[in-house]
Amino acid sequence: MSANLPTTRQEMMAIATGREIRDGELAIFGVGLSMLAGYFAQACHAPNVRSITEGGVFGATPVGGLPWGIECNRISSNAVSFTNAIDALGFLVASGRCDVGVIGAAQVDKFGNVNTTGIWGREIGQSYAPPKTRLTGAGGANDIASGARRFVIMANHEKKRFVDKVEYISSPGYLDGGDARERLGLIGGGPSAIITTLGILRPHPETKEFELSAWFSFSNVDEIRASTGWDLKVAKDASQVPDATEIELLALREVDKTGMLRKK
Amino acid sequence: MSTNKLLSLRDAVARFSADGMQYASGAALPVGSDAIAFGRELLRQKRVRLHALFHCNSQQLNLLAAAGAVDRAECGFSGLEVFGFANGLRRAVESGRLALEDYSNLSMALRFLGGAMNWPFVPATVNVGSDIAWRSAFAPDVYPAEEKIPAVTDPFTGKKLGALISLKPELAAIHVTLSDPEGNAIMIGTEWSRFELSRAAKKLVLVADHIVDPACARQYPNLVRIPGVLVDAVVWQPFAAWPQSSPGAYDIDEAHMRLMNEELATEEGTARYVEKFVTKTASLDDYLAAIGAETVERLQKSSTSFLLDPYRKWIKTREEVETLVAQNALKGDE
Repeated sequence: MSANLPTTRQEMMAIATGREIRDGELAIFGVGLSMLAGYFAQACHAPNVRSITEGGVFGATPVGGLPWGIECNRISSNAVSFTNAIDALGFLVASGRCDVGVIGAAQVDKFGNVNTTGIWGREIGQSYAPPKTRLTGAGGANDIASGARRFVIMANHEKKRFVDKVEYISSPGYLDGGDARERLGLIGGGPSAIITTLGILRPHPETKEFELSAWFSFSNVDEIRASTGWDLKVAKDASQVPDATEIELLALREVDKTGMLRKK
Repeated sequence: MSTNKLLSLRDAVARFSADGMQYASGAALPVGSDAIAFGRELLRQKRVRLHALFHCNSQQLNLLAAAGAVDRAECGFSGLEVFGFANGLRRAVESGRLALEDYSNLSMALRFLGGAMNWPFVPATVNVGSDIAWRSAFAPDVYPAEEKIPAVTDPFTGKKLGALISLKPELAAIHVTLSDPEGNAIMIGTEWSRFELSRAAKKLVLVADHIVDPACARQYPNLVRIPGVLVDAVVWQPFAAWPQSSPGAYDIDEAHMRLMNEELATEEGTARYVEKFVTKTASLDDYLAAIGAETVERLQKSSTSFLLDPYRKWIKTREEVETLVAQNALKGDE
């Protein structure tokens, strides 16, 4: 069933991300979009997802709208346990126990490496000068990208964000591809998908280069390729993502009470 | 008998802080509870050249950076979550005035753990392979910056790991929800890295929203994650984390979060902000007036208020706390 309600691109990105999370998994969500996607999954198809936040908030569901942060009162009103970062990001994530994480990206490259640290507008080169635009840093995303069994990257699909090589690797994807993660000894399995405002990219099984796996009903292969800064290959079995169902959209909007995903 | 370690905010900052020191904030960051009031007092006492150690940025680091009090900072996350980029910190970094050394949220906590254990380093499976390990704002001309997170070999398996250098901050100001006069403290909400930081810091000042009777700790000893034996001083400051939130005590002040970050985006705005919300808020009455009586009331009506209920009967009144503070007032003060 196709939704009668109009769906924004951001909402479709959140729903497609939520579909990546399976019932019963141990999952860690960052703040903002990734938290919306995670709690949407919990409200919709994964009621038994075991969610944690980086600071160690266990079993909580947000009240009163999207939390301002991962330690905000909106996510502290019905928790079953408050612990700490070494517990959540260390014992449960860096250890390799966490099934899935969701992280955002200011820039992402063809091997799923994520930059959230700064924009230099050039290769940084030998000397580490301050960026033209300082971003938020890695936060816990580096720890999730290093340790979670798999993780999903969410990003607005724009050419300036989807680059051949990120200027700074804040959170490691497949580094320079192939078995680079294994050679380095990273515990987690790496990014399983990049979910965008236009579609879904997944890594090639051997090269680990991200390819177009699916597009949304409002986007198409040409638009996605034109919005990608590397020569994006299209997977053989690429297809259209099923539209959001009414059940999904209503579940998402219940989580996104403050309408963050419906803003222009 | 328990020891009374209550000091005024002014006396605690005067006694324990110094220009150029390593200053750590203990908090549920980036937008949760933090001893932001301590940072305002650092500015009132004109502290400069601070080396800030924050597991994440908060409005405190944003303010201190915007006002030029910090030269060097190490942190994991440097934004304000849903409130966006931290404009004051960002401006200081982009101009080159502040060297920001990047780690991750876990690696900062592990470095405090290493300091607490008196280990020289902590082996890490995070940060390796990323530019966090290869780029150093403290050694900008060395690439790759192999001394930042050098590789070490696991003596048992021969595998390579990253070595995170431990941290022992000269001073930590840790925000807690409740403390008794001796410093037996309860944090409501996530601890983030406050447990290990309280053991890593050379000097420890607690900044508490509420002061409770010593009987409170004895009722809930399992919840006292920072016992008084670790604590050098306790400061009572209602709304210590404002405009951020303190679970059980008060919600985030959304309008002020935005106003503050907008003001910190420019030199002129920062000067305006410091004048109005730092210089003129030295006394508790002026501070609460700056927040606004109506806002104070509204923020206390939190969906988390029930979390404070078990402790309410032990909360001391303003008069009781001020009597205890007066007993410890520095000589020469009023």
